[in-house]
Amino acid sequence: MLKVAHTICPSCSVGCGVNLIIKDQKAVGTYPYKRHPINQGKNCKKGRDSYQILNENRLKDPLLRKGGLEQVNWEYALETAASQLKSYENREIGIIASGDCTNEEYETLKKFATTLGVENIGYNAKNIPTFNFKTAPLDDVENSDFILIIGDILKENPLLGRRVILAKEGGAEIIAADYPEKTLTGINSDEYIQIESTSSFLDNINRNVLENPQQLSTVIISGLSGEEFENSLKFFQDSHVKLLPVMEECNSRGAMNLLPALSEDELKDLLEKVKILYVVGDDPASYMEESLKNIEFLITQNFLVNETVLMSDVVLPGSCWAEKTGSFTNTAGETQNFEKIVEPPGNAIDDVTIIRELAEKMGLEL
Amino acid sequence: MEPQFLLAKAKDEELAKKGECGGAVSALFKYLLDQQLVDGVLTLTRGEDVYDGIPTLVENSEEIVETCGSLHCAPTMFGDLISKHLNDIRLAVSVKPCDAMAIKELEKRHQINPDAIYKIGLNCGGTVMPITARKMIEMFYDVDPAEVVAEEIDKGKFIIELADGTHKSVEIDELEEKGFGRRNNCQRCELKIPRNADLACGNWGAEPGWTFIEVVTEKGKTLVENARKNGYIDVKTPSEKAIAIREKIENVMIKLARKFQDKYLEEDYPAPENWDEYWNRCIKCYACRDVCPICFCKECDLEKDFYTDEDEIAPDPLTFQGVRLSHMCFSCVNCGQCEDVCPMEIPLARIFHRMQKKYRDDTGFIAGVSEELPPLYSPEKE
Repeated sequence: MLKVAHTICPSCSVGCGVNLIIKDQKAVGTYPYKRHPINQGKNCKKGRDSYQILNENRLKDPLLRKGGLEQVNWEYALETAASQLKSYENREIGIIASGDCTNEEYETLKKFATTLGVENIGYNAKNIPTFNFKTAPLDDVENSDFILIIGDILKENPLLGRRVILAKEGGAEIIAADYPEKTLTGINSDEYIQIESTSSFLDNINRNVLENPQQLSTVIISGLSGEEFENSLKFFQDSHVKLLPVMEECNSRGAMNLLPALSEDELKDLLEKVKILYVVGDDPASYMEESLKNIEFLITQNFLVNETVLMSDVVLPGSCWAEKTGSFTNTAGETQNFEKIVEPPGNAIDDVTIIRELAEKMGLEL
Repeated sequence: MEPQFLLAKAKDEELAKKGECGGAVSALFKYLLDQQLVDGVLTLTRGEDVYDGIPTLVENSEEIVETCGSLHCAPTMFGDLISKHLNDIRLAVSVKPCDAMAIKELEKRHQINPDAIYKIGLNCGGTVMPITARKMIEMFYDVDPAEVVAEEIDKGKFIIELADGTHKSVEIDELEEKGFGRRNNCQRCELKIPRNADLACGNWGAEPGWTFIEVVTEKGKTLVENARKNGYIDVKTPSEKAIAIREKIENVMIKLARKFQDKYLEEDYPAPENWDEYWNRCIKCYACRDVCPICFCKECDLEKDFYTDEDEIAPDPLTFQGVRLSHMCFSCVNCGQCEDVCPMEIPLARIFHRMQKKYRDDTGFIAGVSEELPPLYSPEKE
């Protein structure tokens, strides 16, 4: 009747542990998970409110457009989606995912695309391009002698901010840089630099400070995207500092390991190339509704009702993170497993199963 | 009622073997469930290892055996878990003194029905944060924390047991001097024997294989008598010497707690400029308010328009923590949860405990222990 169960917070990319309080199969609150090494039972407001995700705006049945969207059974929904996908050429098929699916879902989706011969696939990377280097573990942030922060970590990712506070208590020197006149991270640093552009800020950095081999220096980059992000990475990559880029969603890093990272422009390009689109987790209608109008047939898999769902031809109701078993990889590259805690509502099912069943209906062997 | 002392142990062999000190507490829970005197038992079960205590509601008496064993590295709080989520059932709960204090304040405020709850108190010398415990086992015991199969606190030592049956121990004093050991609020806590519960159970003064029980309330007395009559526990009277030993241990621990109060709340108390630094970190996430077991208003003043300024970078300490202090410090039971959950490592329990102590010195009101409500309490929010 009442259960307290461990899970990983889906609210940002830090990967905190949180306990869900489940009463009569419904999530009613969170409870501190003090054994968790990342956050030791401390959570930000978003993390403590994460249980509400399970109760809000949920999709409970497969839907099919017959004029309006109507409830149908799984067989009919999958059959329709499969026959539509089969009626297009591979190059006319597009698949996009979001940064908050599980690693297991990315793997299955990747297999699905490879088996089908679909090349137009990727995830919404929120304009953070793919990178490939060893990032700083969270413990290194805490043990640093010097930390340079671009962005407002204390406000946006408080449980990473906590590591900065602990480093400061341990004697580390903290320098923060950001666009606003004042930031929470700024007022808690030894020095705050208000910047006009990252490039001019980087040009003026005294590299000697960063290159001191006697000390552990960490650079945290958050709130940057596109070119700014890439330039900052390039600047620090060949120095001795440890780098920690902060990604946006709970499994953006996991997605990056398995699928192509697509910027908003690249997503728009993809949409121009394809005629049928299979969306898993993402909500493209919220940022490129115009581009979606070129799509002849739209299949959406999600656990909640969003703008894309409302435009879709077939809707496949998936599960929320706490309703399935899987793993997320946090922004520091650490993969953490989590277990299914509650059943999904109504006729919603596990997302890996949906992808597999869709493949089966298409006669594909994954 | 006059307190009564007795020694008890489970008659059930498995409970006697797996439970702490003869499994008397587990046997009492089993009795309550079997006789349908309660609908559920709220207690801790072990999660992935000895550092992971998970609040668990047991509804089937056969599962009581899974809740056996001590978990000192689980600084949980049951008070608001009960008032928010378990107020609709008859409940038995195992309580540390701070749980019992929180429940007592919630009962006085009509948030928990005292008639629907059995409070089985567990003597407590303090708890250790799980990650702190793992670090200190690596550093002071030279042991991989994953290899620890059991832990206990006895005679001033934190003792670990490894899979091969060997034991290693380190003096708690030594651990705490180096910043490890029990949580700071536990070090300052004076309530080691929860006489605000129905029974206070523990190993102090007990013979091996027996639990020393102080019977505090009539409800507790009836429970123990009926559990004995129905064949769930064996009971005997402790010797005068056992009672004296228990009293001596308690007094030593209280004396030590007062020393820590002086240290944390006076000698090493943060200076005003340190507090300025702490308040600057505040992200106004309300974690301290939400975790406080005693703070329960449905409409919180802190969310009223005149206290919320979205653009403010670091909230004004007067209109955030100041308001919290003025509402809650009289009732602070020093459970330490606010400090445990603060993402910004603000030592909140220190300021609240210090204020409660001053209030207590002036009014005699001890939060979680006194029978009455704090003198300035307004019942308007209930």
